[in-house]
This record gives sequence, structure tokens and C-alpha cells, in this order.
Amino acid sequence: MSSSSIPIIQFDNVSKKYFKQGQKTFKELLHGIFFRNESVGQFIWALKNITLSINKGDIIGIIGPNGSGKSTFLKVIAGVTQPTVGKYVVNGSIAPLIELGAGFHPELTGRENIYLNSAIMGIAKNKIENKVEDIIKYSELRKFIDSPIKYYSSGMYLRLAFSVAINVDADIILIDEILAVGDERFQEKCFKKLNNLKKEGKTIIFVSHNIHQVKDFCERVIYLKNGKIALDDITTKVVRKYSRDMEAKL
Amino acid sequence: MNELTKQLTLREIKSRYKQSFLGYAWVIFNPLAQMLIMSFVFSVILRISSLGVPYPLFLFSALLPWNLFSNSLAHSVNALVENAPLIKKIYFPREIFIQATIMAKIIDFLLASLIFIVFAIFYKTIITWHILWIIPIFFIQQLFTYGLALGLAAINLFYRDIQYLLGLILVLWMYVTPVIYPMEMVPDTYKFVFMLNPMAVIVNAYRQVILGGSSPNITSLGIALLVSILVYIAGRSIFKKLEGLFADVV
Repeated sequence: MSSSSIPIIQFDNVSKKYFKQGQKTFKELLHGIFFRNESVGQFIWALKNITLSINKGDIIGIIGPNGSGKSTFLKVIAGVTQPTVGKYVVNGSIAPLIELGAGFHPELTGRENIYLNSAIMGIAKNKIENKVEDIIKYSELRKFIDSPIKYYSSGMYLRLAFSVAINVDADIILIDEILAVGDERFQEKCFKKLNNLKKEGKTIIFVSHNIHQVKDFCERVIYLKNGKIALDDITTKVVRKYSRDMEAKL
Repeated sequence: MNELTKQLTLREIKSRYKQSFLGYAWVIFNPLAQMLIMSFVFSVILRISSLGVPYPLFLFSALLPWNLFSNSLAHSVNALVENAPLIKKIYFPREIFIQATIMAKIIDFLLASLIFIVFAIFYKTIITWHILWIIPIFFIQQLFTYGLALGLAAINLFYRDIQYLLGLILVLWMYVTPVIYPMEMVPDTYKFVFMLNPMAVIVNAYRQVILGGSSPNITSLGIALLVSILVYIAGRSIFKKLEGLFADVV
């Protein structure tokens, strides 16, 4: 974190409150009106007073137990959800590699899904045409590319999704637990690609439960606990604290 | 139309009749069968007057735009719920889902209109220049549909009752719209209901300009336009107001 770098993401006291029980039907709404005591005040703070800044080219790991606010943190950066209080700035285009294949349709072929997902990622039409070949090549799925993806194995599905996502030209890349699946060789390939992106000076935010991956890949790690930053420091320090906490829990 | 709207429209169209023998031809068979059955019931058995026009044509000139309206709403209301994985992960203007849904229905409508052309040729119908009126009439219909779809789809995320309620309302709505009977059969006492129903005005106007060979009632059409603009403004502001919460409730 050299002082000469420009912050690409800045959070200033950001908090996010979720209501635990969303009223989904009129019945529950009526119930809510007549029996006011219930379902009111049932909310949780998924993020609490998050203040941080991330510079261009930073490779950040986010760790923490389930429900600690990791995904909400990424959602705020991606602009999908709004913080309840606090201010934040994101200066750059974002490629969310969150829950791969979110935009895939099982009935469409691999190729059709590449076009669809590229458009979802906001790639201009003329650029998609150029990238389709790269994506197919990278995915190693040429033989199956014109079959509906409902016939794909989950590994093939993941490979296609990752190939689309990784070929997006964005400043900030958000990665949420996506490398947990897929065979070892493809995982290796993914990390090679991520390392290339790192060299190109992309900013990468990497959420994982796999401490080894985080250790290998990230320079700085943010440890979230109950929606708060427990520690934000260089990787070795944070991983040590996290491991100690996990052991204490066991 | 931007690339994403186009790709989502294609997804909607391509995925629909996959793995069916007749495929996309269902888009034509469905309304054709509907028209033949309804023509038999209402013209042969119930002998509803069709003002000297062959009943199948009389019916179809109104049934096609009605189906467009009804299908657009019925699918739009679920468009956000069905795209929950995308809404939770990636930000782009959410109204694109509604636009793509309606766009796919417009393409269905255009294809189904081919049947009308075939029947019009068969019955040697005289078409006049007044048919050009269908362009502004179509525009008013789409404005009304889009405004309503935006509002309903947004509210449906919070109260899923909307989708069930809408199914019921659409059935009833068709009966207070002169689709199977001519406006002329409506007793004067109840005519005001039809004046306030933009779909009645729109459907009647289509019939007037295509089969009647004259211009539509400008006053009624003007009121329908005004109502449509108001509905659009209301629907859009509801949608925009709730948009920030979509990812949290979907």
C-alpha cells in the first residue's frame, strides 16, 4: 500500500442492515399490521462501520466465518445492494466472478451462453465477437460448445463460466468462492490467469475459505467477523490470527 | 436496443420451446387454435354480431393485441423473480429484464399476425390507408403495458401475491374489453367503464382502422394516451424507488 497509489475503492463508515423477515405475501403483511409486536425490529447488521481503502493493483483476500459479511461486502462494491449508512466510492469497471454462471440458461448452447453472459458483463458487441474464440479455447470445450449446457457436467459448466468471466476486461475483479470446484488442473490454470491479471495491474478482491489459496495469492487480507473488520493487514499476520481464532472455536 | 436487451430477448425466445417437436411454431399454433375454437363458440353457437365482418377476422383483430398485452404482463410480473441470481450478483439497469420480456412477446405477436394476414386475404378484406393508424395505437398500447409491467414486477418482489392476483385480473379484464363482442353491443349505461379502460379503447381502435376502414375515435384514443402516460410515469417511479432494494428481497 504505497502512498503514491490511487485508491480505486474507498469505504467510509459503511454499514448495511438486513431485515431478517421480508414480508412476501399480503397475509404476512396483514399479520404484521394487526400483530405489530412480531417481525418488527428483527434485523441484522451484515456490515458494521467498514472503513478502508483499496488501491489500484492491490490483491486483497477477504476471509471470515460464514455470515461475517464477506458476500455483502462484495455486493456493495458491485453496486448490487446499497449500504444503509455510510459512503463509498468505486472508481473503475467491475467484473464480478460471483456465483459463476448466474446468467446461464440451461436450454441454450455453450456458445449462446457466451454471448449472453458477455452482454451481461457489459462487453460491447464488437468486442464479444473477438473474444468468443479465446473463450472457447480457454474453456477447452470446443467439442461441446454447440450443445445445450444442461448436458454439461458441473465441472464443464464451471469451466465455461470461468472462461467467460476471466476474459472480461475490467479494472476490478471480484471473486467469491468460485475456485472451490473444478479439477486441480483447471484450478491451476485459473490461478495462472489470475496471476497474469495481477501483472497487468488489475485490482483483485478474492473471497475464500481456502486459507492456502489466500496465502499464496494475496498480499493483504481483510478478516471480517460479525460484519466488522477484525483485522486488516499483510497476509501472514491476518492468516495467523484467523487460524488462531478458528482453533479456539474448535 | 442495446446488446444486453437483445441477448436477453434472444434467451427468452430461444429457450422457450426447446426440446419440443414443433418448436417455435407453437407461437403460431396457439393463437390459431384459440381463434378457431372461440370463433366456433361465439359465432356459430352464441351468434355474436360481428358488424358484417367475418367473425374470425373480427375476433383476431382484437385477440392478437389482447394476447400481446396479457402475455407481456403475465411474464413481466415474474421477470425479476426469475432473474434473482443475476439481480443479486451484477448491477445493470433492472428495467432491461422487463424490456426483454416484452420485446420477446412483441416478436410472438408479429409472427402470430401472419395468420391474420392469411385470413384477411382469404376473406378478400379491403384494407385502406387508415391501417397506418395501427402505428400510434400500438405505441399507446406498449406505453401502457410497459408502465404497468414495471410497477407490477417491482411490487411482486415484495408481495408475491401480485402474480396470482394478476392472473385473475387478466381473465376478468378480457371480459370488460371488447375482444369477443363488438363495443356496439355494450348498453349505454356501462359504456363509461369501457371509456376508462385503455385496453378497450385500444382494441376497438385496432378493429376500426383495420376492418372498419375509418379513423379511430380521436377523443377516446387521446384519453387512452393520457392514461397510458400517467401509468407509465407511476410504474417507472415505483420501479426506480424500489430498485435499490431488489437484491435484498428477491
